[in-house]
Amino acid sequence: MHVSDQELLLAADGELRAGRAAQVRAHLAACWHCRARMAEMEGTIADFARAHRQSLDAQLPPIDGPRALLRAHLAQLVSKPPADSWRRVFRFQSPVRAAAFVGVAFVALFAAAMVGRIVLQHSAWRGTDSALVASERGSEPDRTLTPGATRMVAIGDVCSMPHEEVVAEVSTSLRQEVFQEYGIVSAHAGDYEIDYLIAPGLGGVEDIHNLWPEPYTSRTWSAHVKDDLEERLHQMVCAGKLDLSTAQREIATDWIAAYKKYFHTDRPLSLRSDLISRRRSRVA
Amino acid sequence: MSPTDSIADANRLPFPGAVDAAFSAKPSDIEREVMELFEQFRSPLLRYALSFGVTVQDGEEIIQEVFLALFRHLQSGKSRRNLRGWIFRVAHNLTLKQRYANQRSLDGMAFDSTIAERQPDPSPNPEEQLSSAQRRERLLAVVRVLREADQSCLRLRAEGLRYREIAAVLGISLGAVSMSLTRSLARLIRADGR
Repeated sequence: MHVSDQELLLAADGELRAGRAAQVRAHLAACWHCRARMAEMEGTIADFARAHRQSLDAQLPPIDGPRALLRAHLAQLVSKPPADSWRRVFRFQSPVRAAAFVGVAFVALFAAAMVGRIVLQHSAWRGTDSALVASERGSEPDRTLTPGATRMVAIGDVCSMPHEEVVAEVSTSLRQEVFQEYGIVSAHAGDYEIDYLIAPGLGGVEDIHNLWPEPYTSRTWSAHVKDDLEERLHQMVCAGKLDLSTAQREIATDWIAAYKKYFHTDRPLSLRSDLISRRRSRVA
Repeated sequence: MSPTDSIADANRLPFPGAVDAAFSAKPSDIEREVMELFEQFRSPLLRYALSFGVTVQDGEEIIQEVFLALFRHLQSGKSRRNLRGWIFRVAHNLTLKQRYANQRSLDGMAFDSTIAERQPDPSPNPEEQLSSAQRRERLLAVVRVLREADQSCLRLRAEGLRYREIAAVLGISLGAVSMSLTRSLARLIRADGR
């Protein structure tokens, strides 16, 4: 009696019990029919495997970009507790402070409305709308307002900088200045993160010329995507693969172009789960 | 202040020689291990994800997630047995989740261009008697109409997984895997006219 196809497959993968495997081996040695069937099945699997690869390999992008991104993400996992990043400046440290901020903003708006009545309210809403539209349009800062500013720093300092040192929040007054400069009404300040254009980890400073309101609403080129670029540039600078001044220039001139260049991609290779968890931590 | 002004200051900043001393934290052993596994399995995993009809972009993101999950898995000292099976299982589940999300968002207008691209050439050269490309397309066409679990079994096998690993990835028994493959192979062989 012949061996079934199923048993032949299991035998080929070493999954039969020793006794049965020996029987099948003995049978195969004597039975041309079963040998041919086994060869046919294995040949078909090999042919399919080849077809499967050939049909998909052309679609696979080079591994360089994804590799760099994974390295950057791993470095982030290793170097910081999940919720806090040294690149994030404008982040409420506690629900109480977040609530306080919203409260103050609300009172401010209410007061403004009381003074200016309908006229002021009207213009405020118009201002908000245009600001939101602008934020959707541009994930990059207005270069005349935010050209980027750096300090004298050695690579050694940048690379050995403890993250806590640069996590200090931007002062309230400076934050207000930035919002004012960009014409954002305080009621919608929560839609933005005050971000460094040139990250502190790349020698950027807390200066109005280096800070801009980065909208959380940007879908594609979001603040989180920029974080990945900052991490990548930081790594490259500290590994001696990139000049610090070049990194500063490129991120200040057009960070999106820099992202495309250093991750070898045209679109952000963002991480949904990471983004979701970060957003949650921000909301909390 | 213009961009060039503010950046000009920076040009004198870095000095050669500071780099080596400044090189911060070396990647941990786990990071290195994860990167090695990434090199080894990124293409097989991406192919596997793409074969479910997700986009390359989504596939790449899924794989990033897989390896970050692997890092956490290893970091927390969990089992290192059969990491290949573990990696494929996570990728399989994330891919199904992604496809489900896509299907919901597409809501009916699901014409998948990636599948369309893989359709056989409608006008084969008559002079070529069953070219290797035609044969390839025929094999793929047969597989595309198999039951989904059967397709997965074949594709995982094509990526070199053992039956035992395939069973773990798909959450089915070893017997179910060998039965599925037997069925699929019989169809492929019949279609191939061998």
